[in-house]
Amino acid sequence: MKRSLYIGVATAALTAGLAHADGHLAGETITVAGPWLSPEADRVEAVFDLFEEQTGATVTYVGSDSFESQIVIDIEGGSAPNLAVFPQPGLAADLAAQGHLTPLAEGSADWIRENYAAGQSWVDLGTYADATGADQLYGMFFRVSVKSLVWYSPENFEDAGYEIPETMEELIALSDQIVADGETPWCIGLGSGAATGWPATDWVEDLMLRTQEPSVYDDWVSNDMPFNDPKVIEAVETFGMFARNDDYVAGGAAGVASTDFRDSPKGMFDSPPQCYMHRQASFIPAFFPEGTVVGEDADFFYFPAFEEKDLGKPVLGAGTLFAITNESEGAHALVEFLRSPEAHESWMAAGGFLSPHLGADLSSFESDAERAVNEILLNATTFRFDGSDLMPGGIGAGTFWTGMVDYVGGASAEDVTTSIQESWDALK
Amino acid sequence: MDSLAGKKPLVVWALNLSVLALVLLWIFPTLGLFVSSFRTNEQITSSGWWASLFPAEQTLQLRALDPDDFRIETATGVFTVEGNLFEEGEAADISRWGTSSRAPDAYAVGETADLGEGETITLATDGAYIWQGNDDQISGRGQRMFVVATVPPEFTGDNYNNVLFSPTNSENMAKAFFNTLTVVIPSTIIPILIAAFAAYALAWMDFPGRALLIAAVVALLVVPLQLALIPLLSLHNAIGIGKGYLGVWMAHTGFGLPLAIYLLRNYMVGLPRDIIENARVDGATEFQIFTKIILPLSFPALASFAIFQFLWTWNDLLVALVFLIDSSGQTTVMTKQIVELLGTRGGDWEVLATSAFVSIAVPLLVFFMMQRYLVRGLLAGSVK
Amino acid sequence: MHPALLGVVTIVIGVTGCVGYFYGANLLLDKVLFPAAGPNIGRNINRREAIRPWIFLFPAMLGLGLYLAYPVFATLRLSFLERIPGNEYVFVGLKNYRQMFAEDKFMEALRNNILWLVVVPAASTAFGLLAAQLTDRLRWGNIAKSIIFMPMAISFVGAAVIFKLIYEARPEDVAQIGVLNALYMQFGGDTPQQWLTIPFWNNFFLMAVLIWIQTGFAMVILSAALRGIPEETIEAAVIDGANPFQIFFKIKVPQITSTIVVVWTTITIATLKVFDIVFAMTNGQWETQVLANYMYTKMFVARDWGIGSASAMIIMLLVMPILVWNVYNARKEMR
Repeated sequence: MKRSLYIGVATAALTAGLAHADGHLAGETITVAGPWLSPEADRVEAVFDLFEEQTGATVTYVGSDSFESQIVIDIEGGSAPNLAVFPQPGLAADLAAQGHLTPLAEGSADWIRENYAAGQSWVDLGTYADATGADQLYGMFFRVSVKSLVWYSPENFEDAGYEIPETMEELIALSDQIVADGETPWCIGLGSGAATGWPATDWVEDLMLRTQEPSVYDDWVSNDMPFNDPKVIEAVETFGMFARNDDYVAGGAAGVASTDFRDSPKGMFDSPPQCYMHRQASFIPAFFPEGTVVGEDADFFYFPAFEEKDLGKPVLGAGTLFAITNESEGAHALVEFLRSPEAHESWMAAGGFLSPHLGADLSSFESDAERAVNEILLNATTFRFDGSDLMPGGIGAGTFWTGMVDYVGGASAEDVTTSIQESWDALK
Repeated sequence: MDSLAGKKPLVVWALNLSVLALVLLWIFPTLGLFVSSFRTNEQITSSGWWASLFPAEQTLQLRALDPDDFRIETATGVFTVEGNLFEEGEAADISRWGTSSRAPDAYAVGETADLGEGETITLATDGAYIWQGNDDQISGRGQRMFVVATVPPEFTGDNYNNVLFSPTNSENMAKAFFNTLTVVIPSTIIPILIAAFAAYALAWMDFPGRALLIAAVVALLVVPLQLALIPLLSLHNAIGIGKGYLGVWMAHTGFGLPLAIYLLRNYMVGLPRDIIENARVDGATEFQIFTKIILPLSFPALASFAIFQFLWTWNDLLVALVFLIDSSGQTTVMTKQIVELLGTRGGDWEVLATSAFVSIAVPLLVFFMMQRYLVRGLLAGSVK
Repeated sequence: MHPALLGVVTIVIGVTGCVGYFYGANLLLDKVLFPAAGPNIGRNINRREAIRPWIFLFPAMLGLGLYLAYPVFATLRLSFLERIPGNEYVFVGLKNYRQMFAEDKFMEALRNNILWLVVVPAASTAFGLLAAQLTDRLRWGNIAKSIIFMPMAISFVGAAVIFKLIYEARPEDVAQIGVLNALYMQFGGDTPQQWLTIPFWNNFFLMAVLIWIQTGFAMVILSAALRGIPEETIEAAVIDGANPFQIFFKIKVPQITSTIVVVWTTITIATLKVFDIVFAMTNGQWETQVLANYMYTKMFVARDWGIGSASAMIIMLLVMPILVWNVYNARKEMR
């Protein structure tokens, strides 16, 4: 009884715009669970500190390296935190379908549509069917990343006289040029312990967006188009053109699957360099050798599209979303707080944060490099979310990963995609 | 004890050598970790740990000083930056050097490299360089230089400093240490107590259904932990324990019991029947037999199980995460703290290596202390 | 309250509570309920001896029942159900099992698990016995023992890093950081090998980790057993002129057979549950899947509880032979 009263009060407070009234949540504790460990954990706590100052509530955050299984155990076992930060919409959608999530306050969808770049797509990504099958908005995206980046060392390019490619055709020509010079163009590593294979899924998704219309990508992700469609096989084989080419990858094709993705970019900074380019998301500088300055020692360019296909400038990205797993007044207030520009700017200033929030001040960014990445995000003609995160866990974090490892190991693209489709059929 | 050894020197030699071989085989992997815990992440991923013990020839990538701050106009229009690539005291022996990543060993020491259009650079053996050119050339960032040098072994204590004493972390580590002890000690003692009584009943008392119970214990040994987590957490929440120490003790006790009962029962069955029969004839109660005779005799088995249960609970993360660690952040344990240090994407080998040694210290200490109790005298003495 | 103080207080409460139960329950039985005095002395003694085993067993049975048996039955139930949206379940009979057996990955896991079950317990027990026997006679035996024991104390995450430093492969023209490849290249190998990706043999590279860890366990238990052998038996054999090998195989090993069986069984069971090593090092790729990791993947990644539970039941089933054999032994002892 008391609890539903609180919620009523909370909604009233929110609609009346009183969310920032000082100290109205004094004494309330809001628990948050998420996948971030240090240093990200410190940064998100700094964001929560702002919220605490404004409302008087106490926010405790606990991160876990096995967040996905942890949150399932806690929710099923009845010890859910107030809020959970999901790295993948797929898991949130599953939990929503089982009735474990609480929809966001009314008006949230409108706010996101108006204030986020490509707002409707963020609303769609946070909207799932509830236990009765009705669509509701559950997820508020906070912190996104851009995946369509190629990293390189400007000084190595300068030494060899290479130019930044503007199209996929030029990128392939550059790769061939590097091979002709007796060097190796790419460092590719798929190793990631239990998650081995995921970097390959990013490659395939990026190449899907560069060989097919966005609508085809959407059909593929939702399985309206089978996984073993020739269009997907084409994208997989385009990836194979890079990864299964002994001349193209440092350590040869055999090393791709087992080289750790964290060690892989270091080859660019060896002397002499083992490779010249590395395609990876915006987080990767954390794994460059100590002292590497992004923008000076290392830089990036947009992973270009095929000029002949005329598909514009597609961008692949991902993001984490906040969802309410255990409803309370404070949980709603905290999600509400994430709408404010200062929440975004606080983390922007600390580094490692991109945001689609149109109201956030881009001068808050810690470095020019991050501002440049954010501009890629805001300038994209097409933005698509990491497909493997949207597929069911058994596929996107299961057979898609393992299938790509098999493919790099020599299996044919037809066989691999067919067996992924079979595992998808089995889930239905 | 040395009845054999005293007689045949050859046997003694063979014995010593074979143990040495076995020990070396077993310590080698750990040694790699130990050496790695004193190296930086970059060193770990760029050369084998065994190579770090000797001076090695490496290609280093260094940079001249920033022209904006350090250039001097030595003649009209000629600017010079002078400096040393190495900091005081860390000099390395340079054999070749270069300025391009394509040819890091293009020049001999003392040679002057011509970078085109009058820009030159000269490098001496000790790392001192002179970089000269016009206003435009000597600007921007310091010139990148590659040197092939013989570097002496280099180790750092920073990893340990970082794991144990860094100000942001030390407070949490101290808290985690006490929390871990609070979890581990009862989780070791309680199952042993409960299991010892049960093992005695299963070994030496007659009652219907005994074989069935023994079978059940063996069957329960294989229950995979992962599948028990959700039903048990629901149970704890339903009976009001929630997440906390009580819950984690009970969970560790429950999960440790089958092995404890199994090991102890098998040990107790092997005790001489006469002692127990004689005591019974003398009118001792079962409780007395248990506490006065069985417990002391079973000490080696109790001690060995205690060591293992201690280790498991000490190294456990899964059970602690599910039954203890809530979102308050107060109930962290050592393993959790270490995983935290590894960072979101867990690529920090040096932290892993270091923390593995930090967390191994206490279990090893316990093993050394308990080893005294595993000695033969205790058992043999009381049998006689 | 200071955490250290809080810790001490809770420890004292927990442990005394436990001791108190056993002491109190026995006291109650002996002094109050059925005192060994008065008119019914004979009947009283009989009754209390019939009750006492259950006093001894009660806490253990409670713990086992609640923490292990109950989840097993819950899982058994789940393995016949399928979850539908809205957090409801429907009964599907053997569908989960049929679906599981049709999966290649499952059959691979089953095959690998059997391989593990054959190799790991045998190797660990053999090495453990060897280490226990040899170190027993040495002046520096305790140091040797501690070193062999040390892997037990290293967490699985640590072990995964250690073996990464052994199996890692680097491109041909760069310094190798994995010991195995450094040796391989030294002795004429042409290209560095990705050891963990070579099907079939990679299973053995993973098993090496568990053997390395479990040998310490086998050694400690077997060493305690060896020391339990009465001195006289061995002295008699020495006087009879038996050589060390005869003493070891003819006198010592037969005396500790029951302990060897216990160690073997325990390691078999640990092997059956092996999860962390495979999870951290290959996650079952390159044909190294094992049942426990398969179960984890199904439960927490695919979130298919039906199949996850069904595979857990298969793990339980695999222990049946050990179970039957142990019961047979227990019955034999009782006679």
